[in-house]
Amino acid sequence: MKTMLKIFVTAALLSAGSTIYAAQYDIKQMTPEVRQALENRRARFNELHALKAQGIVGENNRGYIEFLESGAAAPSLVIAENSDRKVIYQTIAEQNDLQGQLDTIEKVFAQVQRDKAESGDRIQGDDGQWIQK
Amino acid sequence: MNQRWHEKILVLTAALVLAGCTVKAVGDPNRPITINAHITVDIQGLQQTASGIEDFVSGKTPQI
Repeated sequence: MKTMLKIFVTAALLSAGSTIYAAQYDIKQMTPEVRQALENRRARFNELHALKAQGIVGENNRGYIEFLESGAAAPSLVIAENSDRKVIYQTIAEQNDLQGQLDTIEKVFAQVQRDKAESGDRIQGDDGQWIQK
Repeated sequence: MNQRWHEKILVLTAALVLAGCTVKAVGDPNRPITINAHITVDIQGLQQTASGIEDFVSGKTPQI
């Protein structure tokens, strides 16, 4: 009976261990490209924050910034931000064996952006509707 | 006798559980076998990663 118990406990622990290991997604190798993308985003954060506060841009439901005011200035800022985000998402996918899961990664980042958005920021829900948080 | 039989079944079950991720394909090398694997993404783990990155970008944390 003790042997049976030992086998079950061992199997359960090993199964749980593999689940925990699988959940540790990360940027495992800080390549020059992803480091640059992160630093770029950090450098433009305040400017982007100001545009969000004015309602000119918002966080869409695919993990990217979107223009909400036609004719608004600073399109290069949004293009550059989205380009850097793409580098980060693709790096996570490549370094964590999640190729083919880019959509999921983007949606998870979109959810995190919604959670971290400040009151008054414009965000797009999963249903596609834009709301003011 | 009965208990030993149960133990053998359990050992076999445990071995199958632990070997669940391994697929061995035997066949003609000129006719490769394609296996469509289903990848499960742990959303909570990914959310933690995303949150850490966004905290770094916003300056809340000094490093990822």
